[in-house]
Amino acid sequence: MGIRLLGLGARMAILLVFAIFFIAPVLWLILAPTKSDNALVTSSPFSFGSFHNVAQAWNHLDAYSDHLYRRWIANTLIYSLSATAITLAISIPAGYGLALGKFWGRKLILTLTLVVMIMPAASLVLPIFLELNALHLIGSVFSVILPFSFFPFGIYLAYIYYATSIPSELLDAARVDGCGEWLTFRRVALPLAKPVVALVFFFSFVANWNNFFLPYVVLADSNQYPITVGLSNLLASTPSFNPAVGGGGQSVNIFKPELALATLLAVIPVAIVFLLSQRALVRGTLGGAVKQ
Amino acid sequence: MEATRTRGLHIPRGLPFVLPYLPFLIVFGIAPTIYALELAVTNVDGSWAGVDNFTRTYDDFRFIPAFKHILVYTVVWLGALMVFVVGLALLLHGRANRVSATYRFLFYIPGALAGAAAVVIWLFMLDPTVSPGAFLLRDLLGASIFAQSIAPGNLPYIFAMIAFWTGAGGWIVVMYGALNTIPPDLEEAARIDGAGPFTIAFRLKLPLIRKWIAYMLILSFALGTQLFVEPEIVQHASFGLVSDTWSTNQLAYQLAFRYADFNGAAAIAVDLLMIGLLGAVVIVTRSGLFRAED
Amino acid sequence: MKLKRRWLVPASLVAVAATTGALVAASTGGASSEKASGSITVWVDAVRLPVAKLYVKTHPKVKVNVVTYDGDGNGATTMQTKIQLWNRTGKGWPDVVFSEQANDPVWMAQPPFDFALNLKGVFPASLLKGWPAPSLAQCTVNGRLVCLQDNLAQEVLYVNKKLMGQFGYKVPTTWQQWAALGAKVAKEHPGYIIGNMGESFSHWLYLWPDRCPISQVVAPKTVRINSADVHCTRMATLLDPLIKSGVVPPESVFTPAFAQKYGGDNDKILLMPGPTWYAKDIFGGTLKVPAGEMTAALPLRWKNEAPTTGQVGGGPWIVSKHTKNVAAAIDFVKFATTSRAVKSKPGALSPGFPSYGPVATMWLKSLNKDTYFAAPPGAAMKAAAGLVWKGWSMVTYPDQPIWSTSVVTQLVAGKALSDQLPALGEGLSNNAKAAGYKVVNK
Repeated sequence: MGIRLLGLGARMAILLVFAIFFIAPVLWLILAPTKSDNALVTSSPFSFGSFHNVAQAWNHLDAYSDHLYRRWIANTLIYSLSATAITLAISIPAGYGLALGKFWGRKLILTLTLVVMIMPAASLVLPIFLELNALHLIGSVFSVILPFSFFPFGIYLAYIYYATSIPSELLDAARVDGCGEWLTFRRVALPLAKPVVALVFFFSFVANWNNFFLPYVVLADSNQYPITVGLSNLLASTPSFNPAVGGGGQSVNIFKPELALATLLAVIPVAIVFLLSQRALVRGTLGGAVKQ
Repeated sequence: MEATRTRGLHIPRGLPFVLPYLPFLIVFGIAPTIYALELAVTNVDGSWAGVDNFTRTYDDFRFIPAFKHILVYTVVWLGALMVFVVGLALLLHGRANRVSATYRFLFYIPGALAGAAAVVIWLFMLDPTVSPGAFLLRDLLGASIFAQSIAPGNLPYIFAMIAFWTGAGGWIVVMYGALNTIPPDLEEAARIDGAGPFTIAFRLKLPLIRKWIAYMLILSFALGTQLFVEPEIVQHASFGLVSDTWSTNQLAYQLAFRYADFNGAAAIAVDLLMIGLLGAVVIVTRSGLFRAED
Repeated sequence: MKLKRRWLVPASLVAVAATTGALVAASTGGASSEKASGSITVWVDAVRLPVAKLYVKTHPKVKVNVVTYDGDGNGATTMQTKIQLWNRTGKGWPDVVFSEQANDPVWMAQPPFDFALNLKGVFPASLLKGWPAPSLAQCTVNGRLVCLQDNLAQEVLYVNKKLMGQFGYKVPTTWQQWAALGAKVAKEHPGYIIGNMGESFSHWLYLWPDRCPISQVVAPKTVRINSADVHCTRMATLLDPLIKSGVVPPESVFTPAFAQKYGGDNDKILLMPGPTWYAKDIFGGTLKVPAGEMTAALPLRWKNEAPTTGQVGGGPWIVSKHTKNVAAAIDFVKFATTSRAVKSKPGALSPGFPSYGPVATMWLKSLNKDTYFAAPPGAAMKAAAGLVWKGWSMVTYPDQPIWSTSVVTQLVAGKALSDQLPALGEGLSNNAKAAGYKVVNK
C-alpha cells in the first residue's frame, strides 16, 4: 500500500513539475499585456496590472501600420483553413490507400514522401517559388495555400493510423457484404476515421498557422503576410529589438506589452482548434466498432 | 486478392485513393527535390560541378561549427523526446481520467504558439530582469543579464528546450492517441495476470506503439537538422549575439540569399538530406514501419 | 468696376511670371512635384511609414503603393532575398526602398543584385550640395551615387550636466581625460557609468572615432582589416580597465536590465558616447533619465590629434534601377529627405538628425528649445556632423553580427577587449573573403 501511495505521489509530482514548465511562460504571457512596459521589469512576473493597460496595448498594436495586425490574423485564418480542407480531402483517402492497398509503387510513394519530408525547406523554397511563378500564382493567395496543402506528415499520420487500427475482419466483412472499394471506404474506413481526421486537421492547421519560411519568401506585400511573418516584422520594428534604426522607433509604440499581446492573440485561434479536436480525439476508440 | 474484380477492369486496390495526392507530391515535393539535387552538382552557369560544391561548402569557416551545433542540439532534443514524451504519455494513459485529460491539455498549450511567438516568450523567460524563472537562470546558468543566458555554450540546450516546449505537447497527444488504439481487453488481461503498472506500460503498451515512436524519431531527427526559425529570431532579437549561421539550415539560407550561391546551399541541403535519410533507413528497417500487415 | 479690372492684367502677368519662375527654379536638373505623376511602389520600415503617408496625402497626382517591411535591420537578409527573387522572375521590384542597414546600398549596387540607380544627374544637383561630404561618400560605390542618407547619426558625447556638476567633474574633451575620469568615478562613485560596450555597434562608437582600420575599402573589392593596428590596440588598452571596473559595462541600453540599473530613479549615467538619435528617444524614452539633466558635448578626440568621430546608422534611401517612373521616385525621395513638412521638427516624421543641411538647421533649432535637456544639445551635434571619419567604409557584409558574436559575448564572460581584437579581425576577414573581398593589412 505504501509503495502504491509513493508511486502515486511520484506520478503527481512529475506531472506537476512538467505542467509548471509548460504553463508558467504562457501564464506570464497572458498577464504581460496587463502591465505597462516599465512594470514588466519592476513588478512580479505573475502580478496582474490593469485592464486599462491591455486596452492601451491593443490600441498601439491596432494602430501599427493601419490595422495591419488584423489583416495578418485574417490572412492566416484563410490560408490555414483552406489548406487544411484540401489536406484532409487528399490525405485521409491516400493514407487509407497506402495502408490497405496493394499496388505497384505503394512503397515508392511512401519512401518518396519520407524523403521529401526530410529535405530541408531552405533548399525547396526556391524551386517552389520558380514553379509558382511559372504558374503565374505569385501574388495570389494560392501561392501559399497550395504548397501548404502538401502535408506529408498528414499522409503518414493517416497511413499509420489505418495500418494499425483497422482490423482486417471489418474490411473482409464489408467485402463479403458485396461492397466495392469505394463503398468499403465509405462504410468502414471513413466513420472510423474521426480520430485521425481530428489529428490531421489539428496538425495541419497548426503547421499552416505556424509556417514561416514559405510565406516569408513567397509573399511580397506585407498586407498578405500570415501572422508568423507579421510577428517577426513586428519584432524588427520595436526599438527594443532593433536599435540601429538611425532615428528612434519610439513613435511606433510597439514595446514589450504590445509584443506580448500580439503573441497572445495569435495563439487563440489555435487553442480553439485544439479544444475542438481534443473531444474528437478522446472519443474515438476502436474497441466499440469491433464488438459491434 | 490481388485486385478488385470489376467488369473486366483490374484496378489495383487502393490506387484511386492515392491519386489526388500524387500531383501535390510531385509538384511540391519531388520536382523541387530533384531541382535542388541538380543544383548541388552543377555550377551557376549550369555546367557539371561534381563534388565541387560539397568540398567548397565544407571548407567554409562556418560549416563545421554549424554541424557541431546541430549535432548537440539534435541529440539533446531526441533524448528529451524519447524519455519525456513517451514517459509522460504512458504516465497519463496509466490512469485515463479527467485529471489526465487536463494535464494533456496543459502540456499541449505551448504547441499552439507559432515558432516566432514561442521564441518571443522565451526571450523574456531567458532575461533575468523579466523572467519568473530568474532564480533558475542565476543558479543553473550563472546568468544575471540576458547576454549571459544566451552565452554560446548554452545555445544548443536552450534551442532544444524551446523545441521541446513547443513540440512535446503535440507528440504527447499523438502518443496518447496511439495508446488509445490498444484494445482495453489486453490491458485487462494483463492486470488480471498480476502485472503491475510498470510492466503494463513497458512490456505491453510500449512495443505496441513502436510504429508511432519510430515515426516521431524519424521526423524529429530530420526536423532537428532543419532548425531555422528559433536561432534566426534569437539572432535578430539579441542584436546578433547569436550568429545568423548558427544552424546548418541558416547557413544554407545565407548562402542562397545573401551570396546568391544556390549551388552551395543545395550542397548543404543534400548533406542534411543524406544524414536524415540515414537515420530514417535505420529506424524504418528496425521498426518495420513500412510493413503493411501488423 | 473698370478700375478694379484694369489692375488685373498686370497682376496676372506678375502671377504668371512668378509661377514660371518658381517652376523653372524647382525643375533645375531634375523632376519637380508638378511633373510627378503615375504610380510607384515604395518599401519603408514602420518608422518611415508616416512620411510615406504624408506624401500620399500631399501628392494626389501620384498613386503610391506603400509596403511596410522589417527595414532589413540588424544584419537581416530580407532585401537580398527579395531582390534575388524579383531578378529571377524579371518583375516585382519596388521603385523606392528605405533600409535601416547603412551597408545595404553597397551590395545593391553590385552584381548579382544590381538593384540601385545612379542618382547623379537624376537627383537635383543643387539639393545634393546640402548633404555633408562624408554622407555622400558613404553612398558612393564605384563612383556612382547609389543612395541618399535620410538622417545623420554622428556620434557625440552625451553629458549628464546635473550629475557632473554635482560631483564636481569637468566634461572631458579627450579620450584620455575621459578614461582618467572613469578611474576616478570607479573609486569615488562606484555604480555610475561613463559609457557602455554591449551594443551590436559599440565598435562604431569606440573604434571608428579612433580611426581603427577594420573596414577600410582601399581598392575595388579590396578591404583593409588590421585589428592589430595601433589605432585599435591603443583604444582597447584604454578601455580594458574601464570595462573591468564597471564604468563602461558590456551591456546594451536596449535591454530592460540596463534601464533598471542605470536609468530612471537610479540615474547613474554620467557620460555616454552615442549617436545623435539617442537624444530624447533613448535617454528620455527608453532609459527614463529625468528631465533637466542631459545635454550633448563635442565628441571625444585622441589627445593632440585632429577630432574624428564615429557614426551609427543613418538609413539610406535607394531608388531602383528598374523603375519605370523615375520622376515620381525621385520626387518621393526628395520629399522624404529635404521637405520642411517632414524634416523641420523632431518627432514622428523626423526622429533623427536630418542629413540635408538646410532642414537640419531648422530641426536643431527646434531640438534646442526642448525643455527636456539641461542645455541645448544642437551645437555639438552640428559640429560633429562633418567629423565622421571617412576611413570606415560600407562593405557588402554587415559587421555588427561579427562584433557581437566574437567580442561582446566574450566581454560579457569577463574577458578583456584587447584579447578579442585578433578574433575580431579574423571574423571580419573570414566574412570579407566569403563575400568576395580581398583582405589586406596595410
